[in-house]
Amino acid sequence: MTTGLTPLTAPTEARIREIGSAEILVGIPSYNNADTIGHVVRAVSVGLAKHFPGHRAVLVNSDGGSSDETLAIVARTVIDFQHFFISDQQSILHRIITPYYGIPGKGSAFRTIFEIARQLKARACAVVDADLRSISPEWIELLLRPIMEKGYDYVAPYYLRHKYDGTITNSLAYPLTRALYGQRIRQPIGGEFGFSGDLAAHYLDQHVWDSEVARFGIDIWMTTEAIASGARVCQSFLGAKIHNPKDPAADLSAMLMQVMGALFALMEQHQMLWSGQVGSQPVPLFGFPHEVGVEPIHVNLERMVSHYRQGLTDLEPIWRQVLASDTFTHLCDLQGTSSTDCRVPDELWVQVVYDAAIAYRKRIMPRDHLLKALTPLYLGRTASFVQATQGLTSTEAEQKVEALCHRFERMKPYLVERWQPPTLKPAAPALLHHATLDAGGTHG
Amino acid sequence: MDNFMNQALLKPLELLGQQLLSILPNLLAMSILLLGGLFTAWALGFFIERLLRVIGFDRLCDRLGMNAALLRGGVKTDPSRLVGRSIYWTVLVLASIAALGALNLSPINQFAQSLLAYVPHLVTAAVILLAGYFLSNFVSRAVLIAAVNAGLPPARLIATCSRWGIQALAGAMALEQLGIAQHIVVVGFGITWGGIVLAGAIAFGQGATDLAKGFLERRLGGRQKSGAIDDLHHL
Repeated sequence: MTTGLTPLTAPTEARIREIGSAEILVGIPSYNNADTIGHVVRAVSVGLAKHFPGHRAVLVNSDGGSSDETLAIVARTVIDFQHFFISDQQSILHRIITPYYGIPGKGSAFRTIFEIARQLKARACAVVDADLRSISPEWIELLLRPIMEKGYDYVAPYYLRHKYDGTITNSLAYPLTRALYGQRIRQPIGGEFGFSGDLAAHYLDQHVWDSEVARFGIDIWMTTEAIASGARVCQSFLGAKIHNPKDPAADLSAMLMQVMGALFALMEQHQMLWSGQVGSQPVPLFGFPHEVGVEPIHVNLERMVSHYRQGLTDLEPIWRQVLASDTFTHLCDLQGTSSTDCRVPDELWVQVVYDAAIAYRKRIMPRDHLLKALTPLYLGRTASFVQATQGLTSTEAEQKVEALCHRFERMKPYLVERWQPPTLKPAAPALLHHATLDAGGTHG
Repeated sequence: MDNFMNQALLKPLELLGQQLLSILPNLLAMSILLLGGLFTAWALGFFIERLLRVIGFDRLCDRLGMNAALLRGGVKTDPSRLVGRSIYWTVLVLASIAALGALNLSPINQFAQSLLAYVPHLVTAAVILLAGYFLSNFVSRAVLIAAVNAGLPPARLIATCSRWGIQALAGAMALEQLGIAQHIVVVGFGITWGGIVLAGAIAFGQGATDLAKGFLERRLGGRQKSGAIDDLHHL
C-alpha cells in the first residue's frame, strides 16, 4: 500500500512521527466553528477518557482555513476530568491540528483524517461535525465500541429528528440507498460515523477526491462504499442531533446536486451490486433508543409550492427530456388549483427519482443542469410530504417514510428495466475481509 | 483567289484550330478535375455521413438540442446527412474552382483566387456561428435553471435574453469576419445593445421603484429575517 499520496503539511508529518502510532483516532472537520468546537472537543476528550482509558488515542482537527478562533480553541481546550468522575486517565490524548489541501469541503477534510489514520495505523476511527451542540461523551463510545469489540467496520448514526428535519435523507438518500443496496441504514448522510482503520485505507485508495465527493457528497459516498466493499455495517443510537443553525437561504440546489450526483454516480459504479438486490434487511442497532424532544421547525409551504409550480411551467422542456412521458403527464395532471395544494405521491416521486437516475446515466444533458433542474421537483415532493404529515406525530410521519421506502423497493424493476446494460467491467470484488452483513437487531 | 481564301478563311480557322488544340489539354484537365472532384465529393460525403451515423452523431445533436433547432428552422434532414451534404458541396465547389483554374484564363484565375482567399473567412464565420449557437443554448439553460431555483418570476425572459444576446454577438462577429458592412454591424450592435440597457434601466427605474428600493435596502441593510423564509433542514 502506498503512503503519502494525500499531501500533509510538514508540521503534521512531524507530529505524526512524534506520536508514532495510535489505536483510536477521532476526526473533527471544521471551518469557522469557534462557537461550538470547544464543546465538541470536550465531549470527545471525556468520551475517550471515560470509555477507552487504556487506549492510545489521537484527536485530529482538519480545518478548512478558519478565520475565527476555531484552531486556538481546539488547541487550548482543557478538561477537568474529575468533574466527570474520571480519576484515572491512563493515556494522554494527542491532538493534531492541521489544514487540509484540495477542493474546499468536508470530503477533503476527511481525506486528511483518513491519511493520518493510515499513517498512525489506527484500529478504530470516528468523525464528528464541529457544529454539534447535542454531542455527549457517549457518542464516542457508541461510534467506536462496535469496531473495537464487535468487529464491525462501519457505524452509521441513528438520530431522533423532527419529522421535517433531514428531508433529503427522508425522501431520497435513505429510501434510495435502502432499495438499491438492501441495507436499512436510516441516516446514510448523518455526518457522524465510526469506521475501522482498514476501511479508512480503502476510502483513501479510491480516486474520488477531485469530484463532488470532496464536498457534500462525502457522507453518502462513505456509506455506499462501505456497503459495496463488503464491510460489516451497523448503526448506533445517538439521541437527538442539534447543531448550529445553518443559513436557511443556503444554496439548496448545490446541496441537492452534490448528494444526488454522488448517489447517481455510485449507482453507475456499483451497478452489478444493486441490480440483482431484491428487498432490504435491517441493520443492527446499538445503543438505547429513547424519546427526546426535538426543536420545532417552521415550514413555508406556500414558497415551496410556488417554486414547484414555477418549475412545472418554466422548466417544462428540461423536465420533458429528463422524465418519462407518463411521469411528466402525471405530474401535470395531479396539480390542484390552490396556492398551497401540491401533490407528488410516493409512486410518482419514485418514478421521478428513477427517471432522473436513468437520464443521468444516459447523459442526456450536462449533469449539473440535470441535477439542478430537479430542485423545484424536490421542493414539490417536500411540500407534498409536509401536507400529508401535518398533524401527525413523528412516529406516524416515520411510517410514511417507511411506506415510501417500500414503494422504492417494489418499483425497483422499473429502474432495472430502463437502466442500460453495463458497458464497463463488473465491479471489483469486496476489498475488505468481511463478505456478509449481519442481519437482525432493531431498525428504524 | 487562292491567296484570299488562304488569308481570309483558312488562316483564322487554322488559328482557331491551334487555339482549340492549345486549350484542349486544359479542357481535358478541367474535365478530369471536375469528374475527380465529383467522385471525391460523393465518396467523402457518403463516408463521413456513414461514419457520423455509426458514432451516434445524431443522438449527440439531439441531446444538444440541435435537431429541435433544425426542425424549428424547417430543416427535416438529420444532422449526419446535413454534414455529409455540406462536405459534398464544399468539395465540389473547391473542385470547380480548381477546374476553372486549369483553363489558365487570367480573369477566371483571378476570380478563383479571390474565391479561395475568401474560404478561410467563410469557415471561421461558420465556426463562430456554430460555437455561438452551442454556447447560447448552454448558457440560456443554465440561466433558466438558476433563475427558477432562485424563484425569479421572469426566469424564461432572462434565459431568452441571454440566448439571443449571445447569438446576436456571434452573428455580429461572423459578419465582421465575412467583411460584410463591418462598420454598420459594429455600430448597429452597439446602438442596439446600448438601447436595450438604457431601456431596461429606465423601465426598472420608472416601473419598479419599490422593487429597486427593496433590493438595495436588503443588500445594504443585510438580509432581513422574515417569516417568508422557513428553517427546514434538508440534509
